[in-house]
Amino acid sequence: MSTQTARVKGRQPVHPLIKKSKDYLWGVLFILPAIIVFCLFLWTPIAKGVVYSFMHVDFINGSNYVGLKNYREVIANSDMGMTIWNTIYYMFLCVLLGFWVPSIVAIAISELRRFQGVMRLIVYLPHIVPAVVLYGMWQWLYDPLGPVNQIASWFGDHQLMWLTDKSIAMISIVIAETWQAFGGATLIYLAGIVGIPKDLYEAAEIDGAGVLQRIRHITIPGIRHLYVLMFILQLISTSQGFMTHMALTGGGPNNATLTYMYQIINEAFTNLNYGRASAMGVLMFLVLTSLSTVLYYFQGRSKKV
Amino acid sequence: MSQPERSIMSSFDLKKGSVRIGYSIMLLALLVLAVTMLYPFATTIFSSFKTNQEIFMFPPSLFPQQFQWSNYAEGFKYVELFRPFMNTLILFGGNAVISLMIVSLAAFSLSQMKLPFRKGITLFFMSTLMIPSATYMIPSFLNLQSLGLIDSYWAFWLPAGASAFNIMLLRSFFDGINKELFEAGRMDGASELRCFYRLAIPMSIPVFSTLLIFAFTSTWNDWYWPSLVLTSPEKYPLASVVYRNIIQSFNLTWNVKFSVLTVIMLPPLLFFLFFQKNIMHGLNLSGVKG
Repeated sequence: MSTQTARVKGRQPVHPLIKKSKDYLWGVLFILPAIIVFCLFLWTPIAKGVVYSFMHVDFINGSNYVGLKNYREVIANSDMGMTIWNTIYYMFLCVLLGFWVPSIVAIAISELRRFQGVMRLIVYLPHIVPAVVLYGMWQWLYDPLGPVNQIASWFGDHQLMWLTDKSIAMISIVIAETWQAFGGATLIYLAGIVGIPKDLYEAAEIDGAGVLQRIRHITIPGIRHLYVLMFILQLISTSQGFMTHMALTGGGPNNATLTYMYQIINEAFTNLNYGRASAMGVLMFLVLTSLSTVLYYFQGRSKKV
Repeated sequence: MSQPERSIMSSFDLKKGSVRIGYSIMLLALLVLAVTMLYPFATTIFSSFKTNQEIFMFPPSLFPQQFQWSNYAEGFKYVELFRPFMNTLILFGGNAVISLMIVSLAAFSLSQMKLPFRKGITLFFMSTLMIPSATYMIPSFLNLQSLGLIDSYWAFWLPAGASAFNIMLLRSFFDGINKELFEAGRMDGASELRCFYRLAIPMSIPVFSTLLIFAFTSTWNDWYWPSLVLTSPEKYPLASVVYRNIIQSFNLTWNVKFSVLTVIMLPPLLFFLFFQKNIMHGLNLSGVKG
């Protein structure tokens, strides 16, 4: 019966504009909360960041416009070069020590005949545990008297100060982070490897290709798009890294692990110079966005080839 | 099902000597990997039962000589965990209800309803994914300050709804539901709201559970942002409390430290083992989306 009334209503002549806005009413109502929240908590801060970067932010005496002063100060700051260098070094180490691990582990796991599920779970385990627990673990593992040094002492009595030696503090952080994070990437690669058609291997085997050749010519090209994607994601996420540094070394020893993002935090919450911190954020935004645009461009090109 | 599906190697390959050697080396490497993944967990849990002397004993042992439960009593005395635990639950509950409501309404609207400027709105949401969150972290803090939300849980509940990733995940799920279903519902006189909560929500329980799990892990793990936004320590969630009182403390003995770490490590582990299927499913979903 209700179907009939709906049809009858549909036939009545209604002004097209009213009808249209009536049609849209619910759709708009449904999406409105999201739009408000996005405006308030994402777009406002993004816009404010740009505005603040040209201002001296002061909550007591009021903020005032200072032009490019913040940017000039940031660039003239002697710590700036060091923090950028630390960040690049950190990103480089993450790629060197961490980037290739997940794909190889994924290939190895995909070859397991048994316990594949268990192995996936084990690899993903550090992801589930809160970061603070991991900090506690690694503080202990890297303790001068901790397990890592004890195990190392079986091979020689050389003790390493993992977190307080300037030359290896960053490496220690990268090892800890890689250990924690590579499981997630492994699962993504695994999903890609599972998606490669099995008849390709069959055909290659009949043509006499060895196992390594099959990996090189079928598996790796099959997940090449994932390599590019993961590389971009890793660069973007590691360029913002500061939490592990904060928890394990506090930026030390002698500022050896002070990254750019960490410096932004210090600028804002230690020096209370929000304008300069915002300017640093804007600079970072410009670099990261152009970086990801360039990388996406290359990805698009490599797909065409 | 007698013949298992082949992977890179066929069962024929394994008859060759060189492949066999390579395969066993790989198995060995995976075994070593499994041990290195599990060892830190094991040492944390077992050390929480040791005396402090035993922890530093040389050569190191994994199992405690005898279980010293008093570490736990001491840990609980040192830092109160019950209230932070409740705070974490409140944070999670608000995140789940408020942000999921905002996100799912928007996703439903984008996917199944008549909407003007659909492309523009999608772009409005999606382009936030391109902007690294760290770059607007400081203005975001100042923004919360000027909205008067500092030291309030609303500062977590509302922004959690501004997640383009969740909207897109849900939207792609709603897109998969046949449009005729909702047309039929509307023909039968169901309002849009009814279509939404009687048809769309029940059908997308699996995606919702994935989003809930993501929300749970992020509230349980996040320690830095809460310690910035909440100014009164009695409102801190568990992770921030532990960071402040356990990780940063220098006078706490290791065995007591480990007892607290074990306590806050176990709930997410159990949660994960319990919901393992949904989580893996959700990871695949997000992995496909990239």
